[in-house]
Amino acid sequence: MWKVYKYTLLDLARNRFALGYAFLLLLVSLGLFLLEGDDTKALISLTQVVLALTPLLALVFTIIYFYNQYEFTVLLAVQPLRRQAILRAQFLAITTALVVSFLFGVGLPVIAWTSNAIGWTLLLTGTALTAVFCALGISIAVRQRDRAKAVGVGLVTWVLMVLVYDSLLLWLLFTFSEYPIEPVIVPLAALNPIDLSRILIMLKIDLAALLGYTGAVYQHFFGSFGGMVVSFLALLLWTVLPAWGAVRAFVRKDL
Amino acid sequence: MRRTFASTLLAMCCLLVGARVCTVRPGGTSITEALAITMECDTIRVLKGTYREGALTVQRPVVLLGEGWPVIDGGGTGEVIVVNASHVTISGFVIRGTRVSDMNDNAAIKCIGVTDIAITGNRILHCFFGIHLSNVARATIADNEVIGDEAVSETRRANGIHLWKCNHVYILRNTAIHHRDGIYLEFVTDSHVDHNTSAYNSRYGLHFMFSHRDSYTHNLFHDNGAGVAVMFTRDVTMTDNRFERNRGASAYGLLLKEINDAHIERNLFTDNTVGLLVDGCNRADIRDNRFEANGWAVRVFANSTAAHYEGNVFTGNTFDMTTNGDLVLSTLQHNYWDRYRGYDLDRDGVGDVPFRPLSVFALVTERMPYAMVLSRSLMVNLLDQSERLIPTLTPATLEDRAPLMRPPTPGTPTTMNTKGRTAP
Amino acid sequence: MNRIAFQNLGKRYGKQWALRGVSAAFAEGEVVMVIGPNGSGKTTLIKCLLGLVRSTEGSIAVNGTVIGTDPSYRAAIGYMPQLAEFPKELTVEQLLRMMNDIRGARSGSTDDRLIASLGVDALLDKRISNLSGGMRQKVSAVLAFRYRPNILVLDEPTAGLDPISAGTLLEAVLHARRNGATVLITSHIMEEVQRLGDRVAYLQDGLLRFALPPETITEVTGESVLSIALPKYLAQLSPVHVEGL
Repeated sequence: MWKVYKYTLLDLARNRFALGYAFLLLLVSLGLFLLEGDDTKALISLTQVVLALTPLLALVFTIIYFYNQYEFTVLLAVQPLRRQAILRAQFLAITTALVVSFLFGVGLPVIAWTSNAIGWTLLLTGTALTAVFCALGISIAVRQRDRAKAVGVGLVTWVLMVLVYDSLLLWLLFTFSEYPIEPVIVPLAALNPIDLSRILIMLKIDLAALLGYTGAVYQHFFGSFGGMVVSFLALLLWTVLPAWGAVRAFVRKDL
Repeated sequence: MRRTFASTLLAMCCLLVGARVCTVRPGGTSITEALAITMECDTIRVLKGTYREGALTVQRPVVLLGEGWPVIDGGGTGEVIVVNASHVTISGFVIRGTRVSDMNDNAAIKCIGVTDIAITGNRILHCFFGIHLSNVARATIADNEVIGDEAVSETRRANGIHLWKCNHVYILRNTAIHHRDGIYLEFVTDSHVDHNTSAYNSRYGLHFMFSHRDSYTHNLFHDNGAGVAVMFTRDVTMTDNRFERNRGASAYGLLLKEINDAHIERNLFTDNTVGLLVDGCNRADIRDNRFEANGWAVRVFANSTAAHYEGNVFTGNTFDMTTNGDLVLSTLQHNYWDRYRGYDLDRDGVGDVPFRPLSVFALVTERMPYAMVLSRSLMVNLLDQSERLIPTLTPATLEDRAPLMRPPTPGTPTTMNTKGRTAP
Repeated sequence: MNRIAFQNLGKRYGKQWALRGVSAAFAEGEVVMVIGPNGSGKTTLIKCLLGLVRSTEGSIAVNGTVIGTDPSYRAAIGYMPQLAEFPKELTVEQLLRMMNDIRGARSGSTDDRLIASLGVDALLDKRISNLSGGMRQKVSAVLAFRYRPNILVLDEPTAGLDPISAGTLLEAVLHARRNGATVLITSHIMEEVQRLGDRVAYLQDGLLRFALPPETITEVTGESVLSIALPKYLAQLSPVHVEGL
């Protein structure tokens, strides 16, 4: 597995989209930090960008890369290698490449300008989100027959998770505002990895407001060390489950 | 050092004007004896030591001067020092040992119905009430440290500096922490509260009611249970204060409730759940303040009228402004909003399009607090952006017609006379 | 012992059988030309053998072992796909080293004659993305022969190659046969089929119609040229008749 990982990573290291992604993030980060007078403000804007952009690009890149590599994957599959090992290696290589790009493009500026709790949480959750959406991307790519359809499914997934899910939550809040729906909303939000990441970062940015109404719930759960551990375990699960499903599907897939 | 110098100076003055000084030391004359009406000295020097004489009553004009931080311990029987005479000075003592009581406002120093009092440079430790003045005219309370017991529950705490029906009082450079209210004023008029620090009090850092024509400047209020509450008062001036980290379900930096003609200027509101809460106020002039990293920078209840906001800086707040009603009778001008994305074609430093500080999402959370979980999501951003372009849900009248492009530099007046003021 | 033995092999995609009831055995030193119309099941047959497609029924034995989830049998197979794709950003040399890594081959143990004879040695420091289709086919051919497999599967091997390289490749096939390798080749070029094939396996509608030496077909039909003999021979067969197994 590590041989395939090594050479896939070597290939990705020269992939111009992976490089472009790194420099795009760097450009956005530098732009925000240089143009925005206030570093915290820049960091907050950057958070918004990362929460939306990282999942999208991780999804699309993973899907496209999987299809670009398809013939080569076939060639690997006729070697004395386990299918599981091939896909795992490719998934890990893509994730590694995108995480490194992320840490280069966002991590360096964030550490240089504001190495505070918000910054570190952003880097942690950004890394986790990259892994989550690489896993989702590969599980979509493995299951679809052609590239265009897979990219379509990926885009729909992204819109669902970044926009529709939150709209549904808001709709729930409005519709059931007469009922004690509050205790359900936070766990429901935390089921979505993007929302969970956002909440983790928001706890550092909007603490004052959060402590106003709902502080007890948020703070006691997410703010505690145990809550952080549970949150990142949830993100890990979001990575492992789709990746595992993808490997299973790939083993049974007719190439 | 400064205190030693001051007391030396005082002692020299006494000698110059022919003051009669008696000295109290452990094992010698007691403070009670020195305070006796028949004693002829008008200045009592109390030397280093611990004095346990129960409650002391001051019944004649006298200067009580501690040297080397003598400790007066009330022994937990009731009050510690009760001043029943005018022209009394108490300075340089460590005072402790009040009794917690539901019936009686036991205090470290209590003055009732007297005038011309000076309480300066004392350390009041773990007391029920710290300094308690009632019906006092012309008093100075300065440089005291009034420190309660952090471990004591809220129900067994009382106020650090407590004034009732007083006038012409100066409360200067005191520190009040771990009490119920740090500084409490009721029916206190023509007084000044300057350069105090009030923190970690379980209720309010500063709490005053029916206290007209007072000023509050250069105070620091932080980490108090509910912040600072100003109620039922007219002609209040609050300038250059700092309100920090007052966080909790019903916490705010500063609550203005039923206040008329207030001047709130050059204050700093940082990291509070609500920076400034305006409830039933008329003609508040809110100017050149800085609101930074608060949950809600300003919450205005719809029962307020004619507040004018000018030259304020709003930055890093979760919400800049919210209101619970539709009717907004406030005016805003020349404030700096970090969310403002307008342009300034004529380059006069003022944006060419108005800014609406009230976001839809703020209105949503006003109705459904738990919607906070969606804060800073893409959906909420889109919602707010579209509302800013085409206002449909937020009151169109609440807008800063001339927002600043850049935060005003501290120390320079932000009011732009060239543009004129739309007066409140 | 048979190198490859298909036993009642069937593959169904949805409701459609792409391959059904294929039973055949191929011995060492045999060159088998797999032919048939488009969609007849040639590719599916090869993919089943390579483990790319999971059969619906039946079994395949390679070198005496029925293939299952253990991938190690593929160490004995060299495969040259119709269209070869490799990681675009690697150089040819890196690709060769990578395949060595994956195959666990030590340098010196590999058969590198094709590198020189196909002119791949001039491409070693080029990136895959800069290679033409024909160059890529050459690299692919090198990889197929490199690990001295005793089974070679070549899918339209000469299609993208210039005539000289095609000749070199076919020479390599014959050399492998002399060394006892079993070679499966799909091809549309009938001259190639007739010249190279020890047997011709003909697939139609997922069925293996026959697997006979080309001489048998030419003799039966009395035609010397296979491309002419084949249609005649097919016409004699009843629709589901399978012969020569």
